[in-house]
Amino acid sequence: MKGYLALSVLLIFLMTGCAHSPRQSSSVLPSAQSAPQILLASTSGEIPVKASGKSADAINDEYKDEENIDYADDKFKEEKVEIADPLEPVNRVMHLFNDKLYLWALKPAAQGYKAVTPEVLRISARNFFSNLRFPSRFLSCLLQSDFSGAATEAGRFTINTVWGIGGLMDPASGKALDLQMQDTDLGQTLGVWGVGQGFYIVWPVYGPSSPRDSIDIAGDNLLYPVSYINPWYAWLGVWGYEKINATSLRIGDYEALKDAAIDPYVAFRDAYIQYRLKRVKARKAKVASSMPSVEESGSANPVLPAKGN
Amino acid sequence: MKLMIKQFAVLSILIIFASSVPVYAGVPMTTAETAVRKVLDVLKDPKLKNPSAKEIKKEKLRVIYEDMFDEIEFSKRTLVRNWNKFTPAQRTEFVKLFEQVLEKAYIDKILDYSNEKVNFYKENMISDNQAEIQSKIVTSSKEIPIFYRMILKDGKWKVYDVVVENVSLVQNYRTQFNDILSKDTPEQLLETLRKKVSKQ
Repeated sequence: MKGYLALSVLLIFLMTGCAHSPRQSSSVLPSAQSAPQILLASTSGEIPVKASGKSADAINDEYKDEENIDYADDKFKEEKVEIADPLEPVNRVMHLFNDKLYLWALKPAAQGYKAVTPEVLRISARNFFSNLRFPSRFLSCLLQSDFSGAATEAGRFTINTVWGIGGLMDPASGKALDLQMQDTDLGQTLGVWGVGQGFYIVWPVYGPSSPRDSIDIAGDNLLYPVSYINPWYAWLGVWGYEKINATSLRIGDYEALKDAAIDPYVAFRDAYIQYRLKRVKARKAKVASSMPSVEESGSANPVLPAKGN
Repeated sequence: MKLMIKQFAVLSILIIFASSVPVYAGVPMTTAETAVRKVLDVLKDPKLKNPSAKEIKKEKLRVIYEDMFDEIEFSKRTLVRNWNKFTPAQRTEFVKLFEQVLEKAYIDKILDYSNEKVNFYKENMISDNQAEIQSKIVTSSKEIPIFYRMILKDGKWKVYDVVVENVSLVQNYRTQFNDILSKDTPEQLLETLRKKVSKQ
């Protein structure tokens, strides 16, 4: 009998202990709802319930006219992700050109290279080029007044150049040091400053861009040591190798997005705009969180405009 | 008496187990993770390693993702206002064709899977019935962030949008369909989809 009592006390103790934790962490759910959900979810995890489980009425219901079709109350609704495309006819030609360039030249070259080069070496080569792009990332961090990011980049460059055999390896991002690459560029910097994308441009070879991100391409090349290699054909060789190496690590990604698209040109335009917008937003959030004192002082900081992306 | 205590102990352990498991992860996350783990189990199954077993694999995967995705919600959200321009019959066909287009485009990439790690690490409850589950695929050369946006319908969490590397699939198709349907009729769009599905 004693054991019975102890067990029930233990049970009550554990149950209340369990019931406490979700209140603080995840449960935005009203508690009345969550209990049946848990039961349903745990049973459905075992037996795959197919759509046939639904009554015919429910299915017809799903296909009815939708009143609230704008999803205006959608929490995930993004601010405008469309971009003006006044150059569409030219851009479409460029898109086609880049597509063929990839399928007929870059991809076969990358596949051949992949076949004869172990992945470890290809990752090392990518690290090496990435390490050389340090000046542009460092400057971007400084221009966004992200000083901790700039310090991280400086530390990474020193450590990886000295201990990572000229940048072939990336010991800085390992568990011991945890200096992660600052995923930023000059286009993002302009975005953080409030410069908008403007309109869509597809450059031959460089691909999707905009006036703002074209400044990024130009600035990035100025800050990239590889651009200064002389004579020009040596530069072309190194530049081409970098492209082939990078492609060899991502074969199939382009094809999947292209095959899934109904209109690949529009699909890539949208993917590019979404991607850039969210990267700029992520940087803005990082800069804002790393220097709360500036916001408190209320001074008009040109680096942190209130709107624009 | 002894038997009763034993039964009670088993029962209480069961209750503790059942009530504590969802607490740590949350129902949407558990649902998404369970489905993805099932996909991985099929992909890793040594009995299905043979190339001739590809069709069996595909069929098994189909069962899992039909249970995991809410393809009607997905279709509606990509068509937005255009949904109402379709007749009910066209809607049914659209949902079916759209699913096939996606399957065709991504199945080879999924079947290519070779022991990459999948980590589920965050659950954002957006509202009572919407959640975003954050996961990433870690390969030897890169990390790919994949977010699942889920909705609660009839007591079951289902995925209605997948965000791969910051790009929302729903948003991406919404832009495409908007562009196409500003020029073409729903029937013409369906014809494009039919061609896409039948093309080898």
